[in-house]
Amino acid sequence: MRMHTRMQTALVSKAPAQDTPEDDSWSTELQDFDLLVKRHRPRIFRFLLASLRDRELAENLTQDCFVRAYRARAQFRGAAQAGTWLMQIAANLLRDHQGSSRAQFWRRVLRTGVDPADLRDWVPDRHGSPEQLASAKEQVQAIWKTVAGLSERQRTVFLLRFVEDLNLLEIAAVTGMKEGTVKTHLFRALEAVRARLEEGK
Amino acid sequence: MNQHLSSEQLSNYLMGEATLEETAHARACPSCGRELARLESSLALFRGAVRRWSGAVVRMRLANPDDHLARLLPPQSLERPWYSSLVENIQELISPPKLPPLEVTSRPIAVKEIWGQYGRQKRSWALSTAFQVVVVALLFTVFSSKAVQQAVKETVSLVAPVDVSDFKPKLQKMQGGGGGGDRSPLPAPKGKLPKPALRQFTPPVVVPQNMQPKLAMDPSIIAPPDVALPQVNLPNYGDPLAKLGPPSNGPGSGAGIGSGSGGGVGAGKGGGVGAGEGGGFGGGVFHVGGGVTAPILVYKVEPEYSEEARKAKFQGTVVLYVEVDTTGKAINPRVVRSLGLGLDEKAIEAVRKWKFKPGLKDGKPVTVAATIEVNFRLL
Repeated sequence: MRMHTRMQTALVSKAPAQDTPEDDSWSTELQDFDLLVKRHRPRIFRFLLASLRDRELAENLTQDCFVRAYRARAQFRGAAQAGTWLMQIAANLLRDHQGSSRAQFWRRVLRTGVDPADLRDWVPDRHGSPEQLASAKEQVQAIWKTVAGLSERQRTVFLLRFVEDLNLLEIAAVTGMKEGTVKTHLFRALEAVRARLEEGK
Repeated sequence: MNQHLSSEQLSNYLMGEATLEETAHARACPSCGRELARLESSLALFRGAVRRWSGAVVRMRLANPDDHLARLLPPQSLERPWYSSLVENIQELISPPKLPPLEVTSRPIAVKEIWGQYGRQKRSWALSTAFQVVVVALLFTVFSSKAVQQAVKETVSLVAPVDVSDFKPKLQKMQGGGGGGDRSPLPAPKGKLPKPALRQFTPPVVVPQNMQPKLAMDPSIIAPPDVALPQVNLPNYGDPLAKLGPPSNGPGSGAGIGSGSGGGVGAGKGGGVGAGEGGGFGGGVFHVGGGVTAPILVYKVEPEYSEEARKAKFQGTVVLYVEVDTTGKAINPRVVRSLGLGLDEKAIEAVRKWKFKPGLKDGKPVTVAATIEVNFRLL
């Protein structure tokens, strides 16, 4: 949070110098960076958390994402929505991170079966009977495990589609892939999840 | 239309890419609809769980933003007025509070091994042992073989000690000598020496010839007054290095004692004592300085070049030690610094032909040691 306030003060101190007519084409969101952070931070963080399953790492990458966005805010021309733009930065950061050796170490740890985050505890508890709750937990756990086993692109696409509710065009914009590619990845991910769910039954 | 949706179509529907027909079928067909609803509910559960999780994490972070600042402050329990703790301490001193008996609920547990939790790993142990055995065996075989031992012996290099004789401090040895006698048939007997002096007026004698001299002088020998001469505790004069015998001045010539010539004592020449020449004591020749003038070169022969040195275009300087005798000839030449290639011999040959005006002591010619540098230069 401290980082954000510093960013804001920097922006305010710079604001009079940049107060030129062409900057008005920016959305008011980008003018007030703090508001942008407030609005989009939960989504970015959620996506990164679901992808990385590590709270500290997700927080760091979220922070990096907004730092990058702040630095590059002059290059944003309003061609996409600010949310999509931010998500794009987050997806790039995620890809960079997963190429690094540290991520490979964690992937190996995950493959050995030790999962630091257990999603079963967070299943919404509005199902009446304990049996239904247990079944819901089982399903969530199955999907969670399948997602862990997916390839990096499939996982990203799957999470963007079914957690963040983006449509295929937006996913293509965020990941930089063609729509057909996105569709293929999503289809394979979905097939894997379905196979797991069938098997669970 | 009546066909159920394929798995591909189901996935398409879930992706939001279904055609109108497929959508219509999904609405109409109960089995496909059930299938889709089940899948959608699972995915919705998943989405809900992820969102709930992430929301909880964010809330947890934002719950107490000032917690860490509060932790910097000392806890309230520490801030007590001094008098209350003083009163408490005094109370404890007067009536110490009874503590409940200490019950040890823990119990020691025997652990298997304290050094590492893996125990002895047989494979590593065997490999390590084998490796060390191989290394030791290799060393033994290598160093027990004759060829290697021979090679080691051969490579020991003996360092020849550097010849340091040139750098040693030269012993300050007195040189010189003298002799005399009156051609008596008997050798000079043992006796004491007269006083040393730099000038001699009367040579020492054992058998005086002139019993009543008009001007009586103490006999003396030519030597520096502070020189250590051999002392013999006898009343008569004589040669301190000779044997005892009847009084005689010796078979030499020139009014001294002994077998030499001149006014001294001993076998040499001159007014000193011993086997050398000139004054002083011991043996050897005078050196330039201290009243002895240097010999002067009057006739010089240029040395010839040896054939080898000329072919080798060899140049340099030969340093020779010579003694210039009273007739002005160079005798006893020795090479001090050699050049080789036959040049040393050529230098000696040339120096032997040189003529000097001899060095003088008290106006008399004496044999003087000198070093001569002979240059060999190719033009």
